[in-house]
Amino acid sequence: MQIELKEICKNYKVSQRPEGRFGMLKGAFVRNTKTIKALDNITFNIRQGELVGYIGPNGAGKSTTVKIMSGILTPDSGSCTIMNRIPYKERKSHVSEIGVVFGQRSQLWWDVPVNDSFDLLKDIYDIPTIRYKKRFDELIEALSISDLLKTPVRQLSLGQRMRCEIASALLHSPKILFLDEPTIGLDAVSKLALRDFLKNENHKNGVTMILTTHDMDDIESLCSRVMVIGHGNLLYDGNLDMLKQQYAPLCNIKASLDKKTEKFHIEGTEDIKVVGNTWNVLYDPSKIPTHSIVEILTKKLPLKDIVIEQQDIDEIIAQMYKEMSL
Amino acid sequence: MKKLQSSIPIIRGCFSIFKIKTAEGFQYRMAGLAGASTSIFWGLIEITVYTIFFKYANNREAGLQAGMTLRQIVSYVWLSQLFFLMQPMNIDKDILRKITSGDVAVELCRPLDLYFHWFAKTAASRLTPMFWRGSIILIFAMIMPLSYRLLPPESLTGFFFMILSIFSAFLLCTAYAMFICTVRLNVALGEGPAYILMLIGGILSGAYLPLQLWPDVMQKFLLYQPFAGYLDIPLRLYIGTMSTDSGLFAISLQLCWTVVFIAAGKVLMSFRLKNLIIQGG
Repeated sequence: MQIELKEICKNYKVSQRPEGRFGMLKGAFVRNTKTIKALDNITFNIRQGELVGYIGPNGAGKSTTVKIMSGILTPDSGSCTIMNRIPYKERKSHVSEIGVVFGQRSQLWWDVPVNDSFDLLKDIYDIPTIRYKKRFDELIEALSISDLLKTPVRQLSLGQRMRCEIASALLHSPKILFLDEPTIGLDAVSKLALRDFLKNENHKNGVTMILTTHDMDDIESLCSRVMVIGHGNLLYDGNLDMLKQQYAPLCNIKASLDKKTEKFHIEGTEDIKVVGNTWNVLYDPSKIPTHSIVEILTKKLPLKDIVIEQQDIDEIIAQMYKEMSL
Repeated sequence: MKKLQSSIPIIRGCFSIFKIKTAEGFQYRMAGLAGASTSIFWGLIEITVYTIFFKYANNREAGLQAGMTLRQIVSYVWLSQLFFLMQPMNIDKDILRKITSGDVAVELCRPLDLYFHWFAKTAASRLTPMFWRGSIILIFAMIMPLSYRLLPPESLTGFFFMILSIFSAFLLCTAYAMFICTVRLNVALGEGPAYILMLIGGILSGAYLPLQLWPDVMQKFLLYQPFAGYLDIPLRLYIGTMSTDSGLFAISLQLCWTVVFIAAGKVLMSFRLKNLIIQGG
C-alpha cells in the first residue's frame, strides 16, 4: 500500500464570542472555545496508481485530510504512512516525492514570467538538468503552455494559470499528486483538457492521484474510486457505480406525447408522473429492462419523442448528503 | 561531509529564490523614483535642522563634545537615508500575504527549510530598494552644493571596513526581519507586536538621530545593542569616528547578533509550525 491512514483524528479549536447583548464587550476578556472534530477516526488505504475522488460537503474535512497527507498538519492521534514515511515527521523528504495543486492558491510567482518559476522549482527540487529538460518538454507539450512561458503569471487567465500550476506540480515527477479543486472556475474546454491530461498522466506514469472537488463530472470522468466524507467520518468508500446504485437506483424515461393521455399503470415501474403532454416513468433497471418499457410505451401511447435519463450525479450526491444528514 | 553535501542543493535553492525575487523587485523603477524623492526631501530637512543647531544655537560645543562635526553629520544623514532602506520597516508583502491567507500551506509543500526559504526572500526584499531608490539618493547626495554634499570616506581602510560592515548589517537586518516574520506567524497576534519590534529597531539604529549624539550615559549601551549594527557602525567607520581596530570588534558584534536572531527565529518558527493553524479551506 502506498498510502495508509489509520484512525486519524484531528480537532480544531474555534473561539466564539459570548452571546447576549454585551457579548462583544465580554468577548474582549473571556473567550469561549469550541472544539470541532475535523476528522474522526479516518481509516483508508490507497494503492499505487489509483485515481481517487474525495468528496464531501464544505467543511467536511477534505482539506484537512489532504493537509495531513501532504505533511503540513500533524494529526492529534492515529497514524499516517505514505511510501513508508510519516509525512509530518519527515516533511522535507516526503514533499520532494509528492505534488500538490491547490485550485484556489497559487504556487507560481505572481510578478515574474512562468519560466522563472519553473527554473526556481528545478533548483528547489534539485532536479538533474537532463531529467528536467525532458520532463519540461513533455509537460509543455501535453499542457500546451509553450506560448505562456514568457508571460508574468499575473497576466495569465485562470485556465492558463491552472495549466501552469499543474505543470509546476509535476515537474519533479512526483509519485503522488494531491489535487484540491483543480477545476474550480474553469471553462468547459479547459476542464476537459485538464481531465484528459490528468487521465493520461495517471495512465502513463502511474501517478497516484487524490482529487477533492465539488464538480461531480470530474469524479465521474476521472475516478474509479470515490470516498465520501462528512462530519469528519468516512461514509462511503468504493466505486462510483455502486454509489449510484445505492443512492439512485432509479432511471427515468421521459416521453413526450402528441396529445394528453390519462395515466395507467405499467407493470414493474416504480412511479409515473404526468406533466402536461409529458410522461415521466421511473423504474429500476435491475428489475425491468429498459427496452420492455419502451416497447409498452410505443404500443400504447401516441409518442412524439422519448429520452432515457439517469439521475443526475449532482442530485444523487445532494440526496446522499441529505440522507446522511450532513 | 555528508551534511555539507546535502546542504548544497538547499543553498542553491535559496540562492535561486533570492535571484528571482531580486529580479522581481528590479522592475519597480517608478516606485524607486518616488521613494527617492521622499528620502532626498527628508535628508535636506534634516541637514537644514542640524546646520541651524550647529551655526546658531548656543550649545555649539555639544556637537563637538559628541565628536561629530557638521560635515560628518551631513555625510551621516545621506548614508543613513541610503542604508535605512535595508531596515525591516514592514514584513515582505509576499510573505505577509502567505501568512494571512494560509498560503503557508503551499510553501510547506516544498522540500525546503521554510526558514531559509523565507530568509532568502526577505534578504532580496531588503536589497531591492537599494537599486533604484538607493542609487538615485546616492547620486543626488554627491552632486549637492558643497555644504550639503556627501563627502568621500575618511580613509581607505575605513571605507573597506565599512563595506564589510554593511554586508554584516545586511545579514543582521534580514535576520531581524525574519525574527519579526516568525512572530507574525501567530496570526492571532495581528500587526501590533511586529510593528513595535520594527520601530524599536528603527529608533535604536540611529537612523533618526545618530547614536553618537545621544546622551553620554547611554553610549556604551547604544554601541552594544543589536541595532547599532543596522547602520550606525558602518557609518561611523565611513565618517571616521570609529577606529578600524574597534571596527573589527564592532563587525564581530554585528555577526554575533545576526546569529542570535537567526537562532531565535528558527526556534520560534519550528515551534509555530508545530501548532500551525492554516487559514481557510
